[in-house]
Amino acid sequence: MNNEIDILKRALAREKSARKSAERILEEKSRDLYRISQKLETLLAEKSAQLQGVFENIIDAYVIIGIDGDILKFNDAAKRLFEYNIDEEPINVVQLIFPEDHEYAMNSFLDLKKYGYFKNYEARVLTKSGEVKWVHINASIVYDVGRVPIAAQGIVRDITEIKNLEVQKEKLLKKLEGSNDLLQEYAHIVSHDLKSPLRSIDALVHWIKEDNQGQLDETTIQNFKLIETALEKMELLITDLLDYASIGAKDTLKEEVNLNDLMRDLQSILFIPDHIKVIMPKKMPTVIGDPIKLQQLFQNLIGNAIKFSDKTKGEINIDVIELEGYYQFSIKDNGIGIDQKFHNKIFEIFHSLNKSKSSTGIGLSIVKKIVDMHGGKIWLNSELDFGTTFYFTIEK
Amino acid sequence: MKGIVFTEFLDLVEDKFGLEMVDYIITKSDLESEGVYTAIGTYSFSEMLQLLKHLSARTELSIDKLLLVYGEHFFSVLETSYPGLLASYKDPIEMISSIENHIHVEVRKIYPDAELPTFTVVDRSEKMLIIDYTSSRAMHHFGLGLMNKTFEHFDSTADIVLEKIKPDGTEVRFVIHKN
Amino acid sequence: MNNRLKILLIEDDTIEVMKLKRVVTTLGLDHQIEEANNGEAAFSLLKNAEDLPDIILLDLNMPKINGIEFLTTLKNDDKLRYIPTIILTTSNNQKDMLACYRLGIAGYILKPLKYEQYAKKIEFLLAYWSANELIK
Repeated sequence: MNNEIDILKRALAREKSARKSAERILEEKSRDLYRISQKLETLLAEKSAQLQGVFENIIDAYVIIGIDGDILKFNDAAKRLFEYNIDEEPINVVQLIFPEDHEYAMNSFLDLKKYGYFKNYEARVLTKSGEVKWVHINASIVYDVGRVPIAAQGIVRDITEIKNLEVQKEKLLKKLEGSNDLLQEYAHIVSHDLKSPLRSIDALVHWIKEDNQGQLDETTIQNFKLIETALEKMELLITDLLDYASIGAKDTLKEEVNLNDLMRDLQSILFIPDHIKVIMPKKMPTVIGDPIKLQQLFQNLIGNAIKFSDKTKGEINIDVIELEGYYQFSIKDNGIGIDQKFHNKIFEIFHSLNKSKSSTGIGLSIVKKIVDMHGGKIWLNSELDFGTTFYFTIEK
Repeated sequence: MKGIVFTEFLDLVEDKFGLEMVDYIITKSDLESEGVYTAIGTYSFSEMLQLLKHLSARTELSIDKLLLVYGEHFFSVLETSYPGLLASYKDPIEMISSIENHIHVEVRKIYPDAELPTFTVVDRSEKMLIIDYTSSRAMHHFGLGLMNKTFEHFDSTADIVLEKIKPDGTEVRFVIHKN
Repeated sequence: MNNRLKILLIEDDTIEVMKLKRVVTTLGLDHQIEEANNGEAAFSLLKNAEDLPDIILLDLNMPKINGIEFLTTLKNDDKLRYIPTIILTTSNNQKDMLACYRLGIAGYILKPLKYEQYAKKIEFLLAYWSANELIK
């Protein structure tokens, strides 16, 4: 009996000790837990402060919306953008959507739900005062620990100004295109209207001469000749002006042009006097461009070389070298040459160096415009009395 | 060794042999803890060895036999304490296979410092499982008891053959055929 | 063997009219020239004419109805559309030329600056058409 009581006493003592030891262990555990949670809280506070800083200082508007679309949070930029103070007046995201963009917005929300994010959303929003603004939004879903969506966050950038500029730019381009077309039309009409009186004068002069044959003195006949020359010059000027205006018009072609064929055609068009030799040692490449304009380019440059040849044996060298991304052509003559001080000016319109019957000062402007159009550059080397080399490039 | 292994062991001893037996094996052993155990404490494994040795001597039951019974008992502890863990399995083979990768992971969440045996699946089919046990404690019969009860839990039975890879029982192969 | 042509010249410029008449006279040809200063006048002439002209010479740039508009209306008229129409113009505008050929023309002649060249072109033109068999 005594033995039994002793056993029970010992068992009881063990149970008591066990309880106390358990309590001690638990106390330690809870102290540990407290320390850990303190640490976590500090960490959380730090992170929160950092996030709060980001939230407040971010230049773009930052918005958090609930799953039902209610706005949960606006940073200051968002408040300024949308003009709502959500602490005082609860709003739903639907109220912010510009009616015409509703469908686009809804589709984007579906994307957001499906993929967890959307990027580069661009649409209009309505501010509290009814102002329409263009915004760019990147958004993503916020999940809780168990991957359950609890909200959506978005960075909203006001792109109204950029959009307005884009619209303005488009309008301007349209207008420019329109005025270019109109200018083309005008150029044709003006050229017709300018040429008509020239033809009439020429006819009238012709008739006066015909009707008074044998009765006109030498001076009058000479004066009539001068009138005719002036008329021809005027006609040429108008034609060149029209050509110049036509370059860069909408109907410019972009096709493969075999420059060998083009050169062959040119030799039959250009009048090459017997004392001038045109040398083209290399095979010409095929380039992409407008065939008529390219022909005009070579015609004007070779024509100039012929026109300004003053040697008893004229020589015109046409050459090409292939470079990275483009071809470089050169047309070299041994003619009168161009003074260095005019090199910059000769490509300007109406800047004719030689006031002659056959020169209007537009030819090289046309050349420059055509080279520009084909993405190239033009320049020259020249020495007075020894000749000129024109270089130009055309993109491959 | 985790305190719960001691408390549950002593409860089982009390249940089967009476409080006197508990008192006897504790008094007989030289225990640092003086036989004071709480489930959440941690105690030396040598204490368990002494308790088992004295129980075996007194009851004339082999240590393996005792561990087998204890293992079977311990399964009921799991059943009552962690029903959710068992509910996640539909099949005993599946459950035993995932001791290492699931059950022990869960155990470590509660007892981060628990020293657990290693179970390696060698071969497995729907009806058969070969799994190797490795532990310095050589408590393979404790594992066998748990396995028996696992099959019982899923209303099935199995022939479980235990092959010692190392004679000291620190590495043992379980060959299980589900009936 | 050469036909005597009845020509309708639609031209607003008095001197251009004089030029054509002078060429015909100078060449000693016996063609009959009718003039209209603009498209509207030409139509009223065509509507009231007892016999239609053999050919029409049409200037493109004219007041009231311009040449292309005139041509469009002409080609939509069941009776008048068969009259060969030759464009006489200063405009070598690709767009105009395409529009004219699309509508259907019998020729497109650029008026040169020099009267002599003009006279030559007209001479060829008249010779060609008077050598043609025309619907009477």
